Amino acid sequence: MTTARWCLLALTLAAAVVAGIMVGTLPLSPNVVLRGLLGTAAPMDIAVVRELRLPRVLLAALVGAGLGAAGAALQGATRNVLAEPYLLGVSGGAAMGAVIAVALGARAPLVPLAGFAGALGAVALTLLVARAAGGRGDARIVLMAGVVVGAFANAAIMVALAGADASVVRGALWWMMGSAADASWVSVRSLALYVAVGIAILLLLARAIDVLALGEETAAGMGVDVARVALGVYVAGALLAAGTVAAAGLVGFVGLLVPHLVRMTGARTHRSIISGAALAGATLVVMADLLARIAHPPAELPLGAITALLGVPFFLARLRRLA
Amino acid sequence: MSRLTVSWSCIVIASVLAACDRRAVPQRDTATDDFGDTIVVAAAPARIVSLNPTTTELLYAIGAGARLVGRTSYDIIPAAVTAVPDLGPGLRPNVEAVLSARPDLVILYASEDNRDAARRLRAAHVPTVAYKVDRIADFARVTLAIGRMTGDTAAARITVDTVGRTLASTLARTAALPHPRVFWFLWESPLLAVGGGSFLSEMLKVAGARNVYDSLPEPSPSVTFEDLVRRDPDIILASAATRARMLTDARWRTLRAVRERRVLVFDTTIVNGPSARVGASAVALAALLHPGAFAP
Repeated sequence: MTTARWCLLALTLAAAVVAGIMVGTLPLSPNVVLRGLLGTAAPMDIAVVRELRLPRVLLAALVGAGLGAAGAALQGATRNVLAEPYLLGVSGGAAMGAVIAVALGARAPLVPLAGFAGALGAVALTLLVARAAGGRGDARIVLMAGVVVGAFANAAIMVALAGADASVVRGALWWMMGSAADASWVSVRSLALYVAVGIAILLLLARAIDVLALGEETAAGMGVDVARVALGVYVAGALLAAGTVAAAGLVGFVGLLVPHLVRMTGARTHRSIISGAALAGATLVVMADLLARIAHPPAELPLGAITALLGVPFFLARLRRLA
Repeated sequence: MSRLTVSWSCIVIASVLAACDRRAVPQRDTATDDFGDTIVVAAAPARIVSLNPTTTELLYAIGAGARLVGRTSYDIIPAAVTAVPDLGPGLRPNVEAVLSARPDLVILYASEDNRDAARRLRAAHVPTVAYKVDRIADFARVTLAIGRMTGDTAAARITVDTVGRTLASTLARTAALPHPRVFWFLWESPLLAVGGGSFLSEMLKVAGARNVYDSLPEPSPSVTFEDLVRRDPDIILASAATRARMLTDARWRTLRAVRERRVLVFDTTIVNGPSARVGASAVALAALLHPGAFAP
């Protein structure tokens, strides 16, 4: 990818972040927003800019970066252009772990860990099923296994919520629809850690993923430990899915959509596809969250529904081309 | 039943005692809400946002309605409230929308999913309190607390005392009447009933009836149709549309009360919560359940 294209990606993200901080339900002039950032505006305006908008925009950016990078790596490692955390059941598994933890009365720090366990469990199950069907390399089998594992996770969530308190059910529903509304500096910091570690692992594996994309046998012939690389990608993908689900609920299709857009800009190596997908994913989710906030005030639209509305037509178009 | 009379007498006596040290001018005051948080409230707040239909109605009852600058999409009583800006949902509210009303007091419903909103509003230096207004006793407690905050102490006491006296006299008049067993219909799929945790179950007691689901602790438990048939209520309370459907529906007609056409229509807008109308509603309910024996 050329330097000009990298600059374009970075500038688009910067513009989205600025728009996300400038625009909201409460009309604030650019001057007030700036003084809010600097801490010289009225206390309420400072709070709106620093405690509501800034953490929310950053959280949305981290969610998008994590999902975009995870999607790019999963697509490369499975040699399946339709792979993404949501479709492989990883997000569903993370949601299952998190919701069950909440329904059992777990406190905040335990919830992402439960999500991580659920995500890893879902990956393991998806791959076991796909392998038993002799199809780890077969895109359709892996996807189908992922969808079924996701459906199982959904059912488990419903059972966990059956006897739960009304506020737990409302909270879980809110979560399953995806939202960055609960963003706080604490959640931004913890997600930043998950995303940094997850993306770092993926970038370290990027060269190996390039080789893996040529085919498992070719990669093995070139001395790549195929199983270890695949495991690394799945663990990092699970880490990213668990972190984003714990912070903003289920935000689907970002991991599917974004890597394709990045490849369309000319990125070929996985180092640039993963980095580009992180940038473009961040831009997409920041914009989608802005839309969620301003489309139907004073109510908010669910973020996951907006990304799905964007992602599903794209997914269908890809399926048609593959067919 | 006598427990209700006793508690109302206590509230009236406590109110009279408290009135003796009433302050003429409201001061900057602290209040402890149902989240257990203590907050400092400005003297006589002028821009109030109420994100619970019950507290909204309460504010109008004590004369603070004109200072309301925000409400939820579900607030429809009294009619004047529809002129107040709609700030969206009352559960998990849009904090930025609430702040856009520039409030100096926000009253939330004390549900677990509102804790975060309370924290954010307070971080934006907006005094925010959260109250649970689920039971009749909550009505008296919260009316007095809100009256103290808005500087409408006297009006709040009058409201509480009047409603209390109405409830106590209704209870006394229905005590000797036969108590029919009532199923109060809330929703069809899933089938939801008024449960023992709801103020409506308390209102049924005052009006001289027994709720067939009084033993269930939830306010609106989900019940099975067979269980309802087993409990065999004498009377069913429902909306006019539901009544019409029940009377012609084969499944509903398995219930004796439906076959004998003892499905009574009661104004369902009361389902919002126990507000200032709870006394008048109890009287209306008693008159509906005991026609002839109880004239309002």
